[in-house]
Order: sequence, then structure tokens, then C-alpha cells
Amino acid sequence: MSEEKVRSVDKATLELIEKAQSDKISTVFSRADEIKPCPIGVEESCCKICAMGPCRLPRSKKEEQKERRGVCGATIETVVARNFARKVAAGAASHSDHSREVVETFIKAAKGEAQGFEIKDEVKLLEVALDFGIEIENRDPKEIALELGEKALQEFGKQHGELTYIKKAPLRRQEIWRKYGVVPRGIDREVVEIMHRTHMGVDQDYKHLLLQATRCALADGWGGSMISTDLQDIMFGTPVPVLGNINLGVLKEDHVNVVVHGHEPLLPELLVVASKDPEIKAMAEKVGAKGINLAGMCCSANEVLMRHGIPCAGNFLQQELALITGAVEVMTVDVQCEMQGLKDVAECFHTRLITTSNRAKIEGADHIEFHPETGLDTAKRILKIAIENFPNRKHTVHIPAYSQDTVVGFSHETINYLLGGLFRASYRPLNDNIINGRIRGVAGVVGCNNVRTTHDSAHLTMIKELIKNDVIVLTTGCAAMACGKAGLLTPEAAAQYAGSGLAEVCEAVGIPPVLHMGACVDNSRILIAATAMVKEGGLGDDISDLPAAGAAPEWMSEKALAIGQYFVASGVFTVFGTTWPTLGSERVTRHLFEELEDMYKGKWAFEPDPEKAAKLMLEHIDKKRKALGIDKARERVLFDMAMRRALA
Amino acid sequence: MNNYQYEEKESFDGRKVKVLGPTYEEGKPQGMQDWKVKLGGREEILGYLKTALRYWYSKDWFGSERRKQEA
Repeated sequence: MSEEKVRSVDKATLELIEKAQSDKISTVFSRADEIKPCPIGVEESCCKICAMGPCRLPRSKKEEQKERRGVCGATIETVVARNFARKVAAGAASHSDHSREVVETFIKAAKGEAQGFEIKDEVKLLEVALDFGIEIENRDPKEIALELGEKALQEFGKQHGELTYIKKAPLRRQEIWRKYGVVPRGIDREVVEIMHRTHMGVDQDYKHLLLQATRCALADGWGGSMISTDLQDIMFGTPVPVLGNINLGVLKEDHVNVVVHGHEPLLPELLVVASKDPEIKAMAEKVGAKGINLAGMCCSANEVLMRHGIPCAGNFLQQELALITGAVEVMTVDVQCEMQGLKDVAECFHTRLITTSNRAKIEGADHIEFHPETGLDTAKRILKIAIENFPNRKHTVHIPAYSQDTVVGFSHETINYLLGGLFRASYRPLNDNIINGRIRGVAGVVGCNNVRTTHDSAHLTMIKELIKNDVIVLTTGCAAMACGKAGLLTPEAAAQYAGSGLAEVCEAVGIPPVLHMGACVDNSRILIAATAMVKEGGLGDDISDLPAAGAAPEWMSEKALAIGQYFVASGVFTVFGTTWPTLGSERVTRHLFEELEDMYKGKWAFEPDPEKAAKLMLEHIDKKRKALGIDKARERVLFDMAMRRALA
Repeated sequence: MNNYQYEEKESFDGRKVKVLGPTYEEGKPQGMQDWKVKLGGREEILGYLKTALRYWYSKDWFGSERRKQEA
């Protein structure tokens, strides 16, 4: 087996890695060969929060039980827990700052000050207004939206009380959070408090530190991320099923190709609008192109794919490869998961790399800042730059001939609708099919790509194993794109890959066995879907009672840790692959992998082998089925009157 | 009706029965299936929220959390 083949299971990716190698272009794949992970950093056994260090505290290779302390006396537990908490804070801050940008734009849209934006989804507006206790009777949608936006913005700076969305969780879950004092007050406060408590000489009890990490993570999942998802839905529409196309083959040689990369869907939404402008189309034709081909990358791709069917060029590890096709006129990047290496790759071609957020610049890249007030003008300006750049293609275009149809857009509201129609929309059919055993359980498989594993391989191996065993999979982010490329996001995939019970349900409802629920910020949709299952009844009183598990087999970002921590704290057994950042401390790891289950009824696990990880998830699902008493088929008994009287 | 395809399958009691095969249309869907457009005015939307999303928006029924006995 050649080296390239273990880089990815995706043929388009392999083809372009080979091209990069022959053209001597540096990519994440070649750089990973040159840089090995730091053996101390990988276990987070290094403290660099003060200038007396850095203190390196690696585990003894001889397995000696030597106490490891930093110069200040900090134990290895404190060091590892601090590092973990800081990562959770960074992840929560990322989703939540994205959310703040969305809320600020939302307020401007409600005031009519955001060019090209509107309040599109009144159903979702009313839904969220009810969550926030906003009076809706006889009020104009824009007036409701303005009040909603202002209330949502207050969630970030709130100092006391509880985040509004906490009350959406199952009552039992809320009790658990209150018992341990981890209900978030305000989103920003929880992030700031982690940064304070992990400063030199503050919180030096690892369990206490991890309580705050939980509180901060919950402020992400049930706060920042959820607000972002909901307000984006109101502005751009709640996703409904739509057919899309995915993989690098969506780029078109005879079109002006513009790739939107990043996470905030604000500018990408306007690029969609602007690309349909007749003036822009005419301009493109004038330079010899057949039109504008807008394509997505990473979570920006998920956003425009599920709301407009805009093709998706690929996931995280394919970002540089898209430019290596030589067919991309412009790549816009906003925030999160954009490699600085893009600039060097772009320079090998004619591609213009454009940063668009005031919070993220890349040295040497063009910077055209997005502001809601002039958003549509900015979108048109970017498209014009792309059109003008089309004649500058200086290399042979090489677009791999791989793309795949995919059905996306399974918001929790849409799943609810699909399961019962307009007059009896409900999670009842899902619960019933879990109870009767056609569906064994539910898994959320989400997260990134990581160059230290074979690209997409762990996602696909795990997910195929789960659906083969009748577990329906909910997916987001780069995991979702991996599934799309492999053809798992089509209803036909049920017959091909799913177990007979799951396939039967998928065929009856007309859904794929793997449901694309959006970008990484949309993991909040999975929380809400799980809550709906609980509230529907028959599967316990809490998320932790559900036959469900979560995983991020190819994770790499701090956001993934924040997501994992809020899933665990919401009662979900969560398995991560690739690597695990607390292995430097046995006690911290044991706390996360074992003791958290006593507190939150959910816990972490680390298993780099995706098949073994899937087995762990199945074992957990079966354990929960047993606890619910639905692990065995029961004979149906028709009760006569005497039996009924005996019941009373 | 003659265009329908039937498959022969075995029923629970071992008899051979004819079962209606797939009835979907060939080809790929065009556009989005936006089910929300079926909802008329605000009253209808609120009615839908209170029934379909009763888990959060109904005042008198909260599913499993309303049960007298714990699961």
C-alpha cells in the first residue's frame, strides 16, 4: 500500500495530494510528515502559564510513581486540568463569539440596517420568542425580532441567574446541573472565569477546575451555540431536506469558482444572493466563463449546503487541495479552522485568498471586511474580484472527477415534521421504533478531520458499524461531509449499509440512515432532538436514560473538546479518537472517564480504533436499553377486565 | 393502478403475499421541501408550535415529565 493511500479514504483527496507532491507544494499532509507531535504536549504535561517555567512534567518512561510538580508546586493534576479547562474555554469562546456576531447582525436585520438580510422564518422566530418569554401577540415580526436580538445579546454578558435555554433541557437534567452548581450564568462570564481560575496561583484543585470547565462548556452548548443556530435559522431559514453535491469534483473548469470557507454563514448567505444577480452573471460571461460557481468548504459549506443546496467542495483537510485544482479564483475565509498554509498554496496559483472578518487576518492575504450594513455590496465586490481573476489562471486546471449526491437539512424541527407530518408531528415514531427494537439507539458522530489519522476513515468506519447495527446516526461538521462524500447521506444508503430494522424505518419515512444536522455550531440541534425524545416519553426522564452515545473520532480543535464536555455534562457517553489531552494525569483522566458518570450520568472515553469505539458505543446503548427494560422483545398481552382490575 | 409494482413476500404466518413495491417517482428532487410554507398565518403557526413542539410550548402536556411514576 502506498503512503498516499493511508492519507485518506477519499479518492479526490488522494489525487490532489499526489498532485501537490509532484508540484512540490507544501500541504498539511506534507507538513505533518515533517513535524511529529510533541510527546509532552500531547499529554498536556507542560505548564507555561507563568514565566518561572515552562515546566515540563512528562510521565516517567520507567513507570516510576514519582510525584510531578512544577516550580510553583502545582501538581500534574492541576497542570493537566488547567490545560483542559483552557481548551474548553477556547472552544466555547469560538462558538460563542461566532454567535455574538450573528446576534449583532440579527439586531441590525430587525432594524432594517443589515443589507440583504431579513427575518425569513417566522415559525422559528415565534418559537424562539416563546423560549425567551417575549410577548408576540399583535406584534410585527421585526419588533419581536428586535426584542429577541437584544435579549439574546444579554445572555453573553449576564452576571447572575441562569441562561435562558437551560429551561429547555429535561427537568431531571436541570436538577443535576443545579445540584453540582454548573448552570451557566452568562456565556462570557464562564469563559472569563476559566481564564482567571487557570491563571498562576488561583484554582489548584483539579475537580474544582473541571466543574468550571463543565459550566463553561454548557454555556456553549445550551448558550452560545444554541443562540447562533436559532438566530441563523430565523434569518436564513430553518433547514429542510435539500439535494446537494459534495466533494472537490463540484468545482467547474468553465466557471468562475468562489470557495467560501470558515464558519459564520453571514457573508456566504449574501454571496449566494449576489451570485444570482444578472449583472454578476453577465460579467462572468464577459470574461469567458459560463457563470459563477459558488462552493463551500468546512462548516460554511454545511450552512449554505443545507439552506440552499450550494455544492460543498470538502471538509477541513481538503481546504488546501481545493486551491491545488488551479480552478479557484477566490477563497474567502472568516473564522475558525482556516490553515495559514492556504496563503502559500494560493501563491502557487492565481487564487486570491480573502479574509473577511475583523477578528481574523492572514499575513499576505487580501482583507475585505464584512459589515452587515454593507454586506451585499461586499459580496458583489468579492465576486467581481473573482471574475476579474478568471482570465489569470496560469496553470492547467485539475479537478478530480469525484462528487456525490447528498441529502441534507435535517434540523430537529424537520425531523419532528418528517416523523408525523403537519397534523401529528412528533418524535413518537422514533421512540416507538427504539422501544420495539427496529432502531437500537441513536448516535451523534461529529467533529473534525485530523491529519494524524487517515482522512475520513475513522468517521466512516465508525458510522458504517453503527448503522449496520441499527443505530441511527446524527452528524454535523466535517464528519457530516465525510458521510456525504461516501454516499451515506442518501435515502438509498439505508438499504445498502443499514441493518434491516433501521433500513425499514428509513424506507418508511424516506430518510437516510445518517442525518446531516448542520455545522459544528449546530450540535445544539442534537441536544434539542435528544431532549424531544426524552420529553416525548417512553425512554426515561433524562438524556442519560436514552440509548444514545456520541463520538468525535477525528477531532482536532478546541471546539470539539467544548462540544464533548457539554455532551458529557448533558448525560451522553462520548468517545473521542485520535488522541486524548489528559493522559498526562491518571487522576484527571479517571475523573473524566469514570467519576463524571456518577455526577452527570455521562462520561468520556478515548478509543483511537473506530471499530472498537463503535463497539463501546453499542455496549453503552445496550446497557441503556436494558435499564429501560427494552432489551428483549416482549409478548403482547391483551388485558381482560380481571387483569385490569388486578392492576388497580 | 396497473403501473404499480408488487413484490411477493412471506407474511408472519408463512403465507406468500403480494406487497406493494416502491411508489416513489424516478429522478432527483428539484428544489427544497419547505414544509413550513404549508402553515398559513400566525394563528396556525402558534397552533402548530403548541401541538407539534408540545414538548416546550404546550401548557398542559409535557410528555414524560408529566408522568406520576418515574420511568
